[in-house]
Amino acid sequence: MSQFVFDPTKVMDIDFTQRTQYLEGLEAIKAAHKVLKEIAFTPSLPDKGYTNRTLYVNVGTLEVKEKPVTQQMKDVFIGGRGFGLWHLWNAVKPTTRWNDPENEIIISPGPVAGITQYAGTGKSLVVSLSPQTDIPIDSNVGGYFGPLLKFSGFDALEIQGKSDRDLIVFIDGQKGIIRIEEAPEEPVDSHVLAEVLTHMYAENEADRVNISVVCTGAAAEHSLIGMLNFSWWDLRRGCIRLKQAGRGGIGTVFRNKRIRALVCRGPQVKGDLNHVADYETIAKTGVKYHKEIRENDPHQCMMRRNGTAHIVEIMDAYDLLPTHNFQYGSHPDTHKIDSQYWQSRCTQQTVDGCWYGCSMACAKGADGLEVKTGPYKGHTVTVDGPEYENAAGLGSNCGVFDPDYLLELNFYCDTYGICTITYGTLTAFVMECYQRGILNKERTGGLEMNWGNAEADLEMMHQMARGEGFGLIAGQGVKKMKEHFIKHGWGDPQLINDIGMENKGLEYSQYMSKESLAQQGGYALTNKGPQHDEAWLIFMDMVNKQIPTFEDKAEALYYFPLFRTWFGLNGFCKLPWNDVVPSDNAKQPEAHKIPEHVQNYVDIFSATTGIKIDKDELIVQSARVYNFQRIFNIRMGKGLRKDDHAPFRALGPVTTEEYLSRQERYDKQIADEMGLDPTAMSLEEKMAAHRKWRQGRYEQLTDAVYKRRGWTPNGVPTLERLKELGLDVFPEVVDVVKLHL
Amino acid sequence: MIHVNGDAMEWKEGLTVREVLVRRNFRFPLLIITVDGELVQPKAYETTTIPDAADVQVVHMMSGG
Amino acid sequence: MRQLRIDLSKCDAGRATCQHECESSCAEKVFKLNDPAMAALHIRELADGSGQAVLCDQCGDCVVVCPTEALSRNKLGVVVIDKKVCVGCYMCMGFCEKEIFERNPQWTEPYKCISCGICVKACPHAALEMVDVPQPPYRIL
Repeated sequence: MSQFVFDPTKVMDIDFTQRTQYLEGLEAIKAAHKVLKEIAFTPSLPDKGYTNRTLYVNVGTLEVKEKPVTQQMKDVFIGGRGFGLWHLWNAVKPTTRWNDPENEIIISPGPVAGITQYAGTGKSLVVSLSPQTDIPIDSNVGGYFGPLLKFSGFDALEIQGKSDRDLIVFIDGQKGIIRIEEAPEEPVDSHVLAEVLTHMYAENEADRVNISVVCTGAAAEHSLIGMLNFSWWDLRRGCIRLKQAGRGGIGTVFRNKRIRALVCRGPQVKGDLNHVADYETIAKTGVKYHKEIRENDPHQCMMRRNGTAHIVEIMDAYDLLPTHNFQYGSHPDTHKIDSQYWQSRCTQQTVDGCWYGCSMACAKGADGLEVKTGPYKGHTVTVDGPEYENAAGLGSNCGVFDPDYLLELNFYCDTYGICTITYGTLTAFVMECYQRGILNKERTGGLEMNWGNAEADLEMMHQMARGEGFGLIAGQGVKKMKEHFIKHGWGDPQLINDIGMENKGLEYSQYMSKESLAQQGGYALTNKGPQHDEAWLIFMDMVNKQIPTFEDKAEALYYFPLFRTWFGLNGFCKLPWNDVVPSDNAKQPEAHKIPEHVQNYVDIFSATTGIKIDKDELIVQSARVYNFQRIFNIRMGKGLRKDDHAPFRALGPVTTEEYLSRQERYDKQIADEMGLDPTAMSLEEKMAAHRKWRQGRYEQLTDAVYKRRGWTPNGVPTLERLKELGLDVFPEVVDVVKLHL
Repeated sequence: MIHVNGDAMEWKEGLTVREVLVRRNFRFPLLIITVDGELVQPKAYETTTIPDAADVQVVHMMSGG
Repeated sequence: MRQLRIDLSKCDAGRATCQHECESSCAEKVFKLNDPAMAALHIRELADGSGQAVLCDQCGDCVVVCPTEALSRNKLGVVVIDKKVCVGCYMCMGFCEKEIFERNPQWTEPYKCISCGICVKACPHAALEMVDVPQPPYRIL
């Protein structure tokens, strides 16, 4: 009924210190490095969370310089994603595309990032023009790189240009050296490369915790869905671990610039390197939160045991676990990949946390996986997670319910440098196309992409890494696959468009939104595309029925995207906000917002920066950046109403199988919601009625949301809204808006 | 007849909060449950009985990656 | 492992003839802090007249949750902090069920009882003793 109880005796007996090592060729690899540029800089520690410097590196011209972080940048953009968007805005033109030299990759941790007393404070935000969407993408990632970068002296790292040879950029925050090195013989894939580079740049064993590597893998070079891995040294396991800036293809941009890796060697971390304004408040808030985790996590989400995979069986129970390309919301085999399995498979006798002080510790690791296919066949590896998104995307959505194959898919996505969420959704699309005859063996070059065929799935991924065969086509993502299939006349264009789960060019993440109108908006009425990190409203809307009217839903789609944007301005992780709640939360007003945690965030921001804010100012801080990003999208030729449409699979049943599988529900909606008599209608008529009703509701929701956000019916922020937020001080921002009013 | 999050559910004598959760397959651990506006603590799900015609709210906290 | 124990039937808890010598000796001699409230053990008088002791039993939960391995057992099985590698995350403080960790505004690193025995010698009622007990098994936390 309720949750599974953790049974320590069921944890598999796996030696978490054993794995294949890759250090043999290290000396030769190092000897092949050629220093192309070396400059000295003065390392500095932050003052109240800011170092007030940005590091600019052009990998084409080899220009390296420091730029000041201005007071205006801090006031308007705060840090993190805000700084990333601001630097990118200044770097590109409306005509710039992802593979132009002027496109940038900006990594910024935010002012709070690097404090060690509260859970989830080590995040970096990565911003670039996406090869999938042609607009800015922002991706939130753990690992040590962001904090170590800041403790070396920089609030942001801005990378521009394109190299003609493979490079490593090394930032040594201990010695004050920035070096660009030609790196011709480096291993390509992340689990090898990050290990080799950690050992190469650490001066001794104790120094390994001070090293973080940003890198990608072979598939990022041949696809548009590349991601970036951010490493940290796992002391107890004695190996590197990886966290992913997954969405939108930033790893592809990275390799297009011929960057092999970024390496930061920071100073030894201590309790107050941020030199915060009010250490006592942060210390007390942190201890209070750790206690809350100790007392409540074991009977709430069990994040420390399961990580985010704790919701696999929950999503299945509520018909929300995407199955067979988002057709259905549950599957009889879900128990094979539920949290009871993962808590026995993941190592429990160690600490997991992708930055110091994270008591939520959801960065679980599955050790001792014997790889069965591909270039690492026979190797023993440690796999991150799997997180919920991976279990759902690589698992149920593709019909893969074999946990070892699921882990192997996860491992290869990570080491090849591709986004697991994107890969899961695009593979589910390929499989459905295969099942429906849009694809066949001839068109896939022999891959039998039936539901659950994990070996064909893995082979498609290996092709992506090798840059050959159908893997090359799949690696373009759902949007370009749809165009390709339609152009070749491989199936009914409407069906292909209906079932291809992308919006703005980005693949959907792994939740069913058919029965939650608010979540349909939470996915498609977004800045970067359908990623649940803006809003997750399914329970509020579909289960609790707390937001029945369009206005209620619009209010939720105003507040939550802004609230959650704020995490990315500051270097926070979202999970500690709502994957545990205080014991007396139920008695608080607006309990669903978890008011005590919101107050923790307000207190920590104020205590770090010395700038007193309250929970309303928090929303205003986000609104500036959120609206700026919307206008940036418009400047790049998107960001209007036409770009906020959702594929019909996200809104309702596309096929007769989907309709019939939940016929009772759909018939009832025809009677109750549409006022029609389903018994007098044919299946085709009923499906047509649903399409009309659901699309109509989505348009009404769009109207209500735009209005609440202070946007025109075409989705453009009004001049009044810009003025309210103080964005009217930027003439070029106002000019973009004026063109569309 | 009672209402659970607005949906009608058949009532029987001695119906507990826990039984309602089982019937609706509400497995999520972070819930805020009220019966006619009165908060029910998790410890009392088994022992709290629901009167006929009650309005039961089972508010699921937010979740998702 | 060496563990500090108290016999509350002997402990005076500051009621009549004791001056909390255990706490002041701990604070002054071990941590060089001039405030018994900063000691790594606490003896409190409760409203009903009985005493309550906050003592570290060296259970090792803090060792499990420490991300930097700053907390470890020494040769005697006593849990000690290596301040050089501690990053001040306070996970040990939050996860200690007995809440025996101390922190003061001057140091970012927390501190704890190291079973040194100074308090045992200082107690005028011989209520404290140092015993050797088996190490408890590792707990998954």
